[in-house]
Amino acid sequence: MSEQIAGIKAAVEIKEDNCSRCSVCYSLCPFDAIKKEPETKKFLLDIEKCQVCGICYSTCPAKAIDILYYDVDSLARYLEKSKKEYKSDTLVIMCRGSAPDFTGIQGLFGISKFIPLSVPCVGRIPEETLLRALTMGIEKIHVLACDEDYCRFDEGSAIAGRKIIALNVLLNQLGYGKEAITLKRNSLKVKADSDLCIACGNCVYYCPYSAPRLESPGTVKIDLDACRGCGLCVAMCPALALDLENWERDRISSLVAELPVEKKSPSILVFRCQWASFPSLNGGVARNACIVDLPCASRVDMYHVLQAFQKGMDGVLIAACAEDDCKQEKASAKAKHSVAKLKERLSQIGLDKRLHFCTVAPRHPEGLEKELEQFSKALQTAGTKEGKG
Amino acid sequence: MIITTPKSLDDVLGYISPYKNILIAGCDGCTQPPRGLKEAKILSQLLELGGKLKGKDFKFKTTTATKQCDYFLTNSILKPQMDGAEAILSLACGIGVQTMAELFSELPVFPAQDTHFMGAEQREAGILEERCAGCGNCLLAETGGICPVARCSKGLLSGACGGSKQGKCELSPDRDCAWCLIYERLKKQNKLHLLKQSRLPRNHQLTGWRVTT
Repeated sequence: MSEQIAGIKAAVEIKEDNCSRCSVCYSLCPFDAIKKEPETKKFLLDIEKCQVCGICYSTCPAKAIDILYYDVDSLARYLEKSKKEYKSDTLVIMCRGSAPDFTGIQGLFGISKFIPLSVPCVGRIPEETLLRALTMGIEKIHVLACDEDYCRFDEGSAIAGRKIIALNVLLNQLGYGKEAITLKRNSLKVKADSDLCIACGNCVYYCPYSAPRLESPGTVKIDLDACRGCGLCVAMCPALALDLENWERDRISSLVAELPVEKKSPSILVFRCQWASFPSLNGGVARNACIVDLPCASRVDMYHVLQAFQKGMDGVLIAACAEDDCKQEKASAKAKHSVAKLKERLSQIGLDKRLHFCTVAPRHPEGLEKELEQFSKALQTAGTKEGKG
Repeated sequence: MIITTPKSLDDVLGYISPYKNILIAGCDGCTQPPRGLKEAKILSQLLELGGKLKGKDFKFKTTTATKQCDYFLTNSILKPQMDGAEAILSLACGIGVQTMAELFSELPVFPAQDTHFMGAEQREAGILEERCAGCGNCLLAETGGICPVARCSKGLLSGACGGSKQGKCELSPDRDCAWCLIYERLKKQNKLHLLKQSRLPRNHQLTGWRVTT
């Protein structure tokens, strides 16, 4: 378990000493996770209701709210370290929901070298972090947010926009030029290959947003404005005719192919919903595990799961959001169903115990580690060595 | 659509165990659920893993055909891909498997699926049910668009047997009674007089075995 998250039970905390009892957080929280104690007028956080959306963090005027994933000191340490590692003075801060791969970002901003910083929502990055970056010698900051209607966090993308306008005015007065920080917006959406489409209608049926439609006679057409980039249709397409930008089947496949094989036993590959658990800035996961992120657990592809087994991994863990936490429409339930179906088939060759579905949430930073520990134990008990190699 | 279900991996491993180089051919036609290229790839992965556990090292090539039952199409699509294949595993219905077996008669062709019936899928419920029995004498015009041949357990053609309970069949309580459905449909359409017709039992000769184009 990494140093940063060891011992931390919740990712969000209200620091009572700093709180000015202004109640902004209380009135804005979309999930009713902040309660007011009538007698003391204190504000208390019900972490089980919290979705770590960060709107309270963005708006608290007293800096009384801490969110692990945007901790100013951790971010600064990361920047110091990465500045050397990437040998660049350009920083790209991106929302994990809308960022293409390294090459994609190079193309978007027209840059060749940069320090990447991926966060759950760029709208929550503290101003202090941006200013610290500039003082530590970073010359240019690019911010990549989701399109506003694609934003998974309350007002995150909109707040990012306003924050940057205000900061640029300030920085211009200080002599940093008119656009010290640039903002771009991006969304990652589905792509259809009509040549491969067999007009089976699976995508039309499964899409929770009615983005694909079939014209008769003909092949699939996608309404990109409606697409929310979950990738469920891609997982369900029997003809490999759909793919999701940045999460291409082949790209995920090559991530699996490139996994280190010398991992400690039992080796586990985690397919993690990008919203179910956020990577800590200070370190990795248990030494026997590798993580491949997915846009949403419903994108989990039986092809990739089996590929991991073929590669010799002892176990595959699917880490999804709980149904109530799912940021897409009922996608977590769909993922669970798909995994159950594959387990059924794996049971025919005695491998079903090596696949496990679990739900975790970023509100409990140690959740995934705990699931990994349990699954490792289960794999050891089940005897994991059959069929390796 | 032709409704199929995958055979157990053990059965399939049994068929292919004498061979090494195997072509798995999906079918993009009417098999339901669709068993196209993706299913071919996933089956190859499952069989490779299953094979390894039994000490077998298969080499799979995966492909798909528009409609495996079409001699002309399948020949033109799949023939160029046969190089090196010692056996073929087909993801089509029984018709596709037979077409393949005839086209590539020098090779063993194995079914990867069991074929059940001509039916329709109720996606929400996750079930597929028989709808047409291919009787060669379509009665749907007289039965409110509901086929008693395929959907009545007893295949009765002249009305309910008397054993239906709350709209369900006495033989399988989760199955709708076809004649109850027909009654409700005809009532809705104000055509209950159609129920007064009586018919002779199904003439199996009408099904036939060949028709001309």
